[in-house]
Amino acid sequence: MAKDNFTDLEQLLAEFEASDLTELHVRHGELEIFLSKDENAVGLGGGAVQVATAKAPVKTGKTASPPASAPTAAAPAADIPEGAVVVRAPYLGTFYRAPKPGAPHYVEIGQPVSDETEMCLVEVMKLFTAVRAGCSGTVAAILAEDGAMVAADQPLFAVMPG
Amino acid sequence: MGLKRVFVANRGEIGLRIVRAAHALDIEAVIGVSEADRDGLGACEADRAVVLGPGPAAKSYLDAKLVVQAALATGCDGLHPGYGFLSERAELARLCAQYGIAFVGPEADVIDGLGDKLRAREMARKAGVPLVPGTDEIASASDAVKAAEQVGYPVLLKASAGGGGRGMVIARNPAEVEAGFAKASAEALAAFGDGTLFMERFVPEARHVEVQLLGDGKGGVLHFGERDCSVQRRYQKLVEEAPCAAMPDHLRKQLHKAACDLAASVNYRNAGTAEFLFDVAREEFYFIEVNARIQVEHPVSEMISGADLVQEQLRIAGGAAPSVKQDEIDLSGHAIECRINAEDWTRDFMPVPGTVTRWKVPTGEGVRLDSHIFEGATIPPYYDNMVGKLIVHGQDRAEAVSRLQSAIDDFAVEGVPTTLPLHAKIVGHPDFIANRIHTRWLEQTVLAE
Repeated sequence: MAKDNFTDLEQLLAEFEASDLTELHVRHGELEIFLSKDENAVGLGGGAVQVATAKAPVKTGKTASPPASAPTAAAPAADIPEGAVVVRAPYLGTFYRAPKPGAPHYVEIGQPVSDETEMCLVEVMKLFTAVRAGCSGTVAAILAEDGAMVAADQPLFAVMPG
Repeated sequence: MGLKRVFVANRGEIGLRIVRAAHALDIEAVIGVSEADRDGLGACEADRAVVLGPGPAAKSYLDAKLVVQAALATGCDGLHPGYGFLSERAELARLCAQYGIAFVGPEADVIDGLGDKLRAREMARKAGVPLVPGTDEIASASDAVKAAEQVGYPVLLKASAGGGGRGMVIARNPAEVEAGFAKASAEALAAFGDGTLFMERFVPEARHVEVQLLGDGKGGVLHFGERDCSVQRRYQKLVEEAPCAAMPDHLRKQLHKAACDLAASVNYRNAGTAEFLFDVAREEFYFIEVNARIQVEHPVSEMISGADLVQEQLRIAGGAAPSVKQDEIDLSGHAIECRINAEDWTRDFMPVPGTVTRWKVPTGEGVRLDSHIFEGATIPPYYDNMVGKLIVHGQDRAEAVSRLQSAIDDFAVEGVPTTLPLHAKIVGHPDFIANRIHTRWLEQTVLAE
């Protein structure tokens, strides 16, 4: 998705928030967007949405690097299974699934994790922070694309406790 | 003779600084930028800007082939790598040589040799430069314990391929050496792909001093005096000054000679810095490493020498001799630089990208600001968070400190937090004013308060 499309998306978000609509579903080529003002809305993936952010959850068919000045808290909320614990980005930065390029990913879907398991790195301005699971369970979903810019508090992983 | 069009393979303040130095010498400047920097000052002031790729540095500033391709496509006959990014990658120097572009820096083999700390130590030893008591490569934790007995505690375990403090562990006893060996080796392997370690005596309360050098590539080396960069946090410099006022004159002369001898022994070409640990109590200095590039803190040496080191770099790369001889370099007064970073030092120095909404800069006698920031400028999240360098010059250290205090007070930045309030605290601290500092002073004193 190009930078301009992102501006379009921001505009769409703003207009949606200002409107009386409670839900909006847009499909354009490979891009699919689902907007809802209902925290319990059923998104594109069919699961219950558990995103506790004030903003409307957004589902996009593709992820992209948003421009630096306008990161978005957009999250593929629908991929978060019911009961899952969401592991979030500590701050705005680049999301890395491996300690360095070419290395194996920290975690994969289905992998058991514990409190201290390192899930990924988030980097901003050369400061790398290892994000830990903070709970025990199984990785249920990976919610951001490797190398993508993520916003502060953006959901990165869903972990099913157990 | 002389460069006609230089490619600037960098961004931020140094990218802009190189563009301006080129223009001062009537050299055209082409800057390679990422998509995130296309509206930056460097791109505005350059004769031409080419977009190398998207924001993330790996896809733009760190891609040596892409950078050289861009330099060739825009008809550049020289390439300045600045500092950071590709500046100390021998690959870039090699590619430039291969395609007939003058690399503004040393030869690729020299970069390779100096980049490996063990090889650099060997070069220093051969040139008769004092080394901190230490070892060569250490094979195991048990060898490390034996070596530590010889070197004397406390010791420092360091990564052979290292830098920036990664793969570095201080140990005060055999148990700490054993534990530290595993930790440092693992860190070094993760950070540099090479877990090789060596050991040095650790000097508590040391100062970091370094000598600014300019080599002609034929064995001729000029020095522009030394800098004291002892105000550090996690091995990152925050405040740098020139000269090192704590160093006695007889030692200063030895230091300059040692640095020049080392650079001459490898026919060093262009700007470089020899770094040393200064053991104030013993009145000894030990070689640390050579940075084979222009450094962030070069302006303090310019302020006391009157030289323009970036212009000298471009001259040398164009095949000319430096514009001055050693006996014409008159070092006078005292200069101090503060690195201003976009970070919240009260929140563990958290970097903060964003938009600068206010940028009111200090002026006045002896005040210089090297920065690419303007009101409305965006600080992208992809790169280093330095937004500028505030440099002052005074007749002596006391005058420089006083000017720096006023300049910091007059500096107003809004939109992102900066390290300016911390700098105010540092330069107003009685220890700093009395010049009673060492490399751990900031962490142990100011940040611990």
